[in-house]
Parts: sequence; structure tokens; C-alpha cells
Amino acid sequence: MTNKYYEFFCPVKVIAGKAALEHIPYELTGLAAKRPMIVTDKGVRAAGLLEPVIAACEESGLEIVSIYDDVPPDSSTSVVKDIASVYRKEKCDSIIAVGGGSAIDTGKAVNILVSEGGDNIAKYSGAGVLKHPLKPFFVVPTTAGTGSEVTSVAVITDEKKGVKLPFTSSFLLPNAAIIDPRMTLTLPPHITAATAMDALTHATEAFTCMAKNPLSDAYATAAVKKVSQSLLSVMDNPKDSDGRLELAQASTMAGIAFSNSMVGLVHSLGHATGAICHLPHGLCMSLYLPYVLEFNLESIREPLGELLLYLEGPDVYSATPASRRAEASISAIRKLRDALYKRCELPRTLKETGKVLENQLESIAKLALDDGSIMFNPREVSHEDAMAVLRRAWA
Amino acid sequence: MIVKRLQPMMSHARRSYVELMFQVMGRALQAISEVDEATRNETCELPEGFLFEMQVMPNGPKLIVEHTGNGKLLFHGDEAPRPVDLSIQFKHIAHAFLVLSFQEKTSVAFANDRMLVDGDVSYAVRMTRVLNRLESFILPRLIAERAVKEYPASIKLPEKLISAARIYLKVATQFVETVRA
Repeated sequence: MTNKYYEFFCPVKVIAGKAALEHIPYELTGLAAKRPMIVTDKGVRAAGLLEPVIAACEESGLEIVSIYDDVPPDSSTSVVKDIASVYRKEKCDSIIAVGGGSAIDTGKAVNILVSEGGDNIAKYSGAGVLKHPLKPFFVVPTTAGTGSEVTSVAVITDEKKGVKLPFTSSFLLPNAAIIDPRMTLTLPPHITAATAMDALTHATEAFTCMAKNPLSDAYATAAVKKVSQSLLSVMDNPKDSDGRLELAQASTMAGIAFSNSMVGLVHSLGHATGAICHLPHGLCMSLYLPYVLEFNLESIREPLGELLLYLEGPDVYSATPASRRAEASISAIRKLRDALYKRCELPRTLKETGKVLENQLESIAKLALDDGSIMFNPREVSHEDAMAVLRRAWA
Repeated sequence: MIVKRLQPMMSHARRSYVELMFQVMGRALQAISEVDEATRNETCELPEGFLFEMQVMPNGPKLIVEHTGNGKLLFHGDEAPRPVDLSIQFKHIAHAFLVLSFQEKTSVAFANDRMLVDGDVSYAVRMTRVLNRLESFILPRLIAERAVKEYPASIKLPEKLISAARIYLKVATQFVETVRA
């Protein structure tokens, strides 16, 4: 009997496409929610992205009771506490997070406090602490990359202790993720590129790392195909709303894939680089992806070769000998990175970022070895291995 | 019918095996931290007094070790002197048996959601590396390859034999001391 085993869980209702925002009132009403609070950041508000959300609700007679628009890029326990107190004061009964990873994570953490009670979010840190469903929670992503709208994790900084608190529970999953192309139409080119590469990395690692499973594989391959087919056309024509929707869906699908099959060394190195050099997560993913695939190559030759079909299409796939498909997949990713560099100068090496010093590589390697995602990398990684990958990614 | 009759015996045997393996592993963890510098390099990053537990949920067999400083580990049996800092928990005795009988690698068990981590994940990653190194030393290579993700190329046969002998000797000594006490 085979020892193969997997788990797959995604109860999030995905509401995607044209006029998706206009479904929010109906969906909230279905959960008996009448007094929603919006959690977002100043950038989202300044970009005018709240207006269609508010208009969609008001047209259906649903009042947005409160808007908190001061979520910082790295959300903290005090911000969560402040928002929870506003929520209680205004007698809200549901949360709509509008934004990227930080606003969504903050929304998840606020939902814990307002549902479970108290002011100390740290009390709920860890895995499986929550035992009850939380208040109605909707997510409207404004970037196409993190996949946070379908993950059961939130990370909040405890600024007093200087540590990042992880929260993991299936109850953190939103009731609905609203994917509307209007929300990503105005994303600047370099963010479009970096976040799409984030989604591509989620999907690629989900498909090649140790916890891959048939269901997450289906989401991962579909996400790779969408990114490969739409990213460059959106870069050339940013107002292409169909292309934007494809990228947003790819991000959600990649999120579903990786939250059920985890990620590997690209994320370990990316998390460490983000922490030490303060580079954006999506950029780190784009930087490391081909080098880590090369490192893992002999352990992932079969699935990586399969990805060529989704990266380059059936013609290239069938014209490439089976024994060369894995290398061809890596070349396709390198080609995509070159194309993005031409269009928006998205760095391809650590040196090109101008924000990483060569003498920081040792610290990055050391920190990466303790990152949780390294457990799911198909190859064991030593300090020397991590350094070798970093040196290749350097220049 | 026979299978049904044998079921309680099999469950009991499986539980006893897991208990025994935890006893051996706990003592071996203490021993490897005394004989292997690479292990101490890993464990010395843990806070002094750090308590690590491996347990079968909900109240099954467990092992508890403490970092007493300078990378040295101390086996506490199955009773912690205070709340543990890090717990790796098997969801069921059957999952612990799969891992401890080398039918499933520790890394695969994590990937298969057989185990939960309660505590700082970075310390769990570090302790998993220590467990892998221990298994690479004390198990014959063919079995160790079934237990760890990748058998370390850096461990050469003479080093493996000498270290394994020293670890087993220390484990046996500890068992004798426990029986005498």
C-alpha cells in the first residue's frame, strides 16, 4: 500500500470577474452582516480604490460603518488593537479588508480580537489556538500576487518584543475573496511584475516541493499558465482588464495551491532577504526562482519538466525532448525575467537591486536555514548549499 | 475475525514500540550533543533552559529534552519540569509509528500533515536537523536513507562508526543507570 497522503482545504467563496464588487452587499446580507468595517491602507485610498467598493455597497443600501485606512506596510499588535476598538465602538459586525498582504493580515488579526474578545492579540498566536468561527470577513485584494485572500495565516509584528507573531487557523480564511479587475488596473508596472512573479513562484514551488498533491497541482498549473500567458501583455497594455483579471485569478489559484502544499527554498531565501535587506517579497521571489530550481533540479526533474507545457505552451513542450524539459522550464522563467527587466527593470540578480551587499549573503544564508518553508524543499539544504545559490543569484 | 482479535495486541505493540523509540531517541539526543560538535553548533543557538518535546496527541508517549547550555541536551524522560518551549506533536500513534519505524521520513511526515509544531518554527527546523543528524549516525545507511530527506555526504564511514558506537554506549549506560535508580 502506498504511503501517499495529503490534505486539501479551501472553503473561501471566490467571487471573480466583471462587477464582482457589486456582489459584496448580497454576500454580506447572506451572512446576516449589516454594519461592515473596511480595513485598508493610505495608498489604496489615495489610488481611489475604495470608491467602487463603497459605491457598490451604498447602491444596495448597505452602509460602510467605519473605514480604517492607516494600516502600515508591516502591521503591528497596537494597530490591530486600535482597529478592534474602533470596530467595537462603531458596533460593526463584519470586516472587509481591501489591499495587499498587510491590510489582509491586519483584517484577519482584527477579526480574531473582535470575535474572541480582549485586546491582546499575542494570546492567539500559534497554530490551532482558535476553536470557533469568526465574524464575517471579506477580502478584496488590490495586488495580484500574495494569495493572502485564500490562506489561513496572518503575521503581525509585536513591536514591544520585536518579534513577528504568526497566526494559523482555518478560521482565519475569509468567507469570500472578491477578485475584481478594477482593483489592479492602476498597479504600477514594477509592482505588477513583482507580484505576478510572486504568484508564479507560489505555483512553481507548490508544484515541485514535498507537499505537492493532485488538487494543489491542478491549481498550480492553471496559475502558471495564466501568468505566462498574461503577464507580458498586461505589462505592455496595463489597462487590459481581461489580462489583469487573469493575473488576479492566477494569484488566487497559486494561493490556494501553496497554502495546501507549502513552498520551499525560494521562500526561505526570500524571507531572509526581506528581513535583512528590506526588499519587497515579490522581487525576492523573482530573484531566486531560477537559481533554486537549478539547485533542486535533479530532485524535481519530472514535475519541473511538466511545467514547460504551462510556461511555454503545447508546441514548445512537444518539440522539446522529455529529458530537456526541466532545463527548458528554467530557461522560460529566465526569459520571462529578462522581458520584465526590459519593460520595468525588475532586477534579476541581487547586485542589480542595489540594496544588497555581498557581505550580507552569509547572514541571509544563516537566517534562511531556520525558515519554516525549508522543511518542504525537496532537497536538504546546508549552509554551503544556500551560499552557493546566493552566489549564483548575486550577479 | 482473527484480525479483530489481534487488533488490541497490535495497538499495544505499536504503542510500546513508540514509547521505546522515544526513550532511545531522548537518550541518544543527549548523547549526540555530547559527542558531536556539528550537533552542538545547532543546539547552542537554542536558549539556555529551552525545553523541547516530541509527543503523540492527545496524551500519548512523549520525550522531553532540555538545552542546558553550550549545546548540551539533557533527557528528561516524559515529564517536563515546566511548560515546554517547543512541541512537535504527532496527530496519532499510527503516524508516530510510521516515522519511528522508518516507513515515512520525518520531512515527509511534516509535508503530509502528520505532525504539528507548537512553538517557534525556526527552532523546530533546527531540532529536525539535529534529529536527522542523529538518525544518520545511529542507523545503518540503508535505513537512515529511509528516515532522512538526504543522507549527508559529509558523514564518512569511520566517523559514523565511531560516533554511533559512542552514542550507543552512552545510551546503554543511561538505560543501566535508570534501571539501577
